[in-house]
Amino acid sequence: MTPETHRSQREEVLRRLNELFAEETEAAVRYLYLAATVKGLDRATVRNTLFEGIRETLEHAQTIAEKVIQLGGTPKLRIRVEIDDGLTTGRDAIRTALAFEQAALDGYKELLELAGDDVVLEEFARAQIATESQHVSDLYLLLDE
Amino acid sequence: MDAWKEFEQNPISHSAAHHIVAIKELLEEYGYARVSDVARLLEITRGSASITLKGLKGRGLVTEDDRRFLGLSKIGEQVARSVIAKKTILKKFFIEALGVEEHQADIDTCKIEHLVSSETAERVAQFLRFLDSSHPSSERFRKSLAAFDEPCSGDPSSCPCCVEACLVEELADDEVAGDSRAAEKSKGNTRDDDARREASSKTAASRSTRRESATDDEKGQP
Repeated sequence: MTPETHRSQREEVLRRLNELFAEETEAAVRYLYLAATVKGLDRATVRNTLFEGIRETLEHAQTIAEKVIQLGGTPKLRIRVEIDDGLTTGRDAIRTALAFEQAALDGYKELLELAGDDVVLEEFARAQIATESQHVSDLYLLLDE
Repeated sequence: MDAWKEFEQNPISHSAAHHIVAIKELLEEYGYARVSDVARLLEITRGSASITLKGLKGRGLVTEDDRRFLGLSKIGEQVARSVIAKKTILKKFFIEALGVEEHQADIDTCKIEHLVSSETAERVAQFLRFLDSSHPSSERFRKSLAAFDEPCSGDPSSCPCCVEACLVEELADDEVAGDSRAAEKSKGNTRDDDARREASSKTAASRSTRRESATDDEKGQP
């Protein structure tokens, strides 16, 4: 691999990591809003899941920011959260969470494809995919659809 | 219903219009569209794109197959075509008829493409057809418009843009919103500034004359 190819590959990895940094941060904000607006008989249960989501997504965001620093980059946070106002049912809140969790999972899968012979990055992407997959499965189980 | 309330209740939000048009563009260029492609094209996160698309799927505008490839329903396709048509017409109007710089025309049409009515867009298209036609009056019109550079007189009786005050002058407020035209002005177009100052004093003089004349008329009434 030429130094030029190596540099452009590294830049692409950093770009993807920063996308994921924004992805996880936005997800935390969305979880927060959903937890604040969820209503219905299952409110308490769903809120616990959503609070857990806030904690996990923020942890992931921190991990990614660290990864960017390790690779010699600068974490960049380009977020834009457009949220429809209004209360939501527990089921709809979980459906919404599934949409952005699935999106994050896809992002980590794309990162894995970029890892090439970088075993550390590959390991990191695989670990994130495992965690996100588990999270998506848990949300599906809650929906029971 | 008041127009501003209609704006709030517009079924196709700015964001929704962009997502629908993005899917159409991706389908035309690559033959497929996924959430990640839409997100990348619009420079937003997959999560954001996913949430908006979820709403559009629920409204029957966007479709998704088992392999999670996106498509447009018949209505979604109509919406995309309509938004693109309005943008094209308005952008052409801004650039060719009004002489707005292309980048600014792109920004401004982006803001209104999904809001302007089909009726208005059709009238603008008709005007452009006239402008492009070989009709002698069209040519005269184009030449006259290109040559017309008189500053605003500031007199409401001769200027359609002057009501209580010179409305063109009021546009200076756009500078606060970062309007590029206003920013350019602020670089120092002293000739225009002088003309506006002169126009403004004329407006004041004209208003004063009208007030005096009105008072005289009132006095003269039986």
